Amino acid sequence: MGDVVTSMAFFWGLMLLAYFLMQNGLGILNDVVKSMCRFALGKALGPAIDFVEGREGSASKTWMMHGLFWLILASLFTFEGLWLAYDPHALHSLSSWGYSPTSTSLLYAAGFATLYGAVGMLIISSSFHIIPKLADTELASEKNGTLVSYLWTLSVLFLVIAAHNPEILGVNIFLIATILHGLAFLAVLINLLLTVSERKSALPLPGWLIMLGMLADPVSVVATILGGIGSGSVQWLLAHLVSGTFFFATLAGISLYVSSSATGNPLWSRSLTAVTTVGAIVTITPMGYTDGKMAADMLLVGFEEISMQSTDGIAVAFLMALAIVPVMALVANIMMTLRGGDAFVENPDSAGVPEINLGTSMLLPLAVASLFVQSDALSHNPELAGLSSTLVLMVIWLVLVPLALGASQNLYPSITGRSLLSANRSRWAFWMMGWGAFFGLAITMMADFAQIEAAADSTGIVSGEVRVLGAILFYGTAIGAIMHALNALSGLYRGAPVSKGRPTSTSISRDDYSLTTPTSVRRILAGGAHLDTTVVPVGESDETGSPTELD
Amino acid sequence: MMSSDSTDSVGEFIQGESEPSSSWVVLALGLVLSLATLILHGILFPGRDLPVISDILPVFDGVFDSGIWFFILGVMLGVFAIIATMMTEATSE
Repeated sequence: MGDVVTSMAFFWGLMLLAYFLMQNGLGILNDVVKSMCRFALGKALGPAIDFVEGREGSASKTWMMHGLFWLILASLFTFEGLWLAYDPHALHSLSSWGYSPTSTSLLYAAGFATLYGAVGMLIISSSFHIIPKLADTELASEKNGTLVSYLWTLSVLFLVIAAHNPEILGVNIFLIATILHGLAFLAVLINLLLTVSERKSALPLPGWLIMLGMLADPVSVVATILGGIGSGSVQWLLAHLVSGTFFFATLAGISLYVSSSATGNPLWSRSLTAVTTVGAIVTITPMGYTDGKMAADMLLVGFEEISMQSTDGIAVAFLMALAIVPVMALVANIMMTLRGGDAFVENPDSAGVPEINLGTSMLLPLAVASLFVQSDALSHNPELAGLSSTLVLMVIWLVLVPLALGASQNLYPSITGRSLLSANRSRWAFWMMGWGAFFGLAITMMADFAQIEAAADSTGIVSGEVRVLGAILFYGTAIGAIMHALNALSGLYRGAPVSKGRPTSTSISRDDYSLTTPTSVRRILAGGAHLDTTVVPVGESDETGSPTELD
Repeated sequence: MMSSDSTDSVGEFIQGESEPSSSWVVLALGLVLSLATLILHGILFPGRDLPVISDILPVFDGVFDSGIWFFILGVMLGVFAIIATMMTEATSE
């Protein structure tokens, strides 16, 4: 058995064990462990925990704002990386300050800033809101959740610095970043597990998707260490396991929750949700980098090129092809749940739904494209290697960012108690980010194709000129990120207050519709009514109630 | 002797919420005046460098020599806008 198959066997075994323990608890140790965890999240941190507020939603709000700020830096780094591929000396004046970035280092730093800074923090923000709602309880520790967001931000900052220069004054920056990241992740995980342990009803499938996605991150690290992380193919596997679980599975759960809560429609298919849940754990997603450098650096092991045994190669190809099944299931489920919903960006209640539409629409084509590029990368003579970097950027900016950002935007009123400041600004920001990322990266990919065809260097006339156009178009993403951040920030202070418990319960097909308050025809149709539905006005009275007299 | 009633309300600070359109006229006038002063300096002292500014500008020689800086400046403006919004929103209540 090869290293990859061994690691996968460990991963599946550990995930089954984790699922069993989540369902059945730890037996007689349950209460002791829970008390210790509660202590670790609160009083063990001493005075630090008193510096943050513990109101309902404060943890989720803080993670969201951090994620939005990271989105600006992430888009800036990506833009600079794309530009420097055209003009490597554009930022040479910064060398007098000891900073000499290259296109590669900037895009590597952008990867950390986007994945762990923006997307990761937005995922955790939404999880801190969704899991307590689905478990019908409260977050175990709002204060710890709030405090740990700063630790996570610090870890991402160190990762970004380490991506430029892994060693400063003899200190391994990745070591510091990994320790901080591990501590923050552990705290988040304990917080969510404690919350789930207090659930008052069965956790719906999107909740399981989120929890299993979160758990799978540390589990995949343990599994690959047991399987031999020194091997290049296992490093590649770890990168893809994290990509398929922490990023794909959690985002799938969050998107499914939001697609239902935003439109008022119940999830279209329970079976497809189950397929997505199992598929995300069982298969290997093709979406991600074609090497395991990020995983190797974060685990402080030497980076190795991929060298896969034939048994591993066959297993990986099969599991990657199989990964298209959960992707298709997720896309169909979200699309059908959103269908007919009153979910337009003109409606401030539905901010973020266009982003989810965009992310879902791009998911399947990019997953299939990634499958081709990954299969090529694992072959002996890769021919599409020049496309992989841009394809990863497309997955990040056209799938992961829209889904994470869209969910946060839509949950914003529930989390903060206020609407975003301006629906108009939200719409503009969506178009800037969406079109900026789509056209910017599509044109960059054209330059990649031109470069592969011409086998010329990137500063060649055709490839270079096209590349700079791609970078300039991608700049729209940075502007969109700034507009989103401003909108959310101002909304915290001046957004219209919203009442709790927005009316969202509907069903897809209804024979009668109870009209309790004045509403639009569009909303009635969105609630599942059709032309033959009987609209039944429900009478209301302001008279005070009295006991029913029995004859 | 003046009534003391009028002085009772002086102790309170009131910041207006509305923005009169004429305030932009003042800003525009300020900008025009600045440009006019620069032109006047050129007329009165032809060939002479601007005081202070001419000493600072050479520091940035070779810095903004790529088009990327215009884009980075745009993002910096955006970041400053966020910081300014944060400060004004937090202190406006």
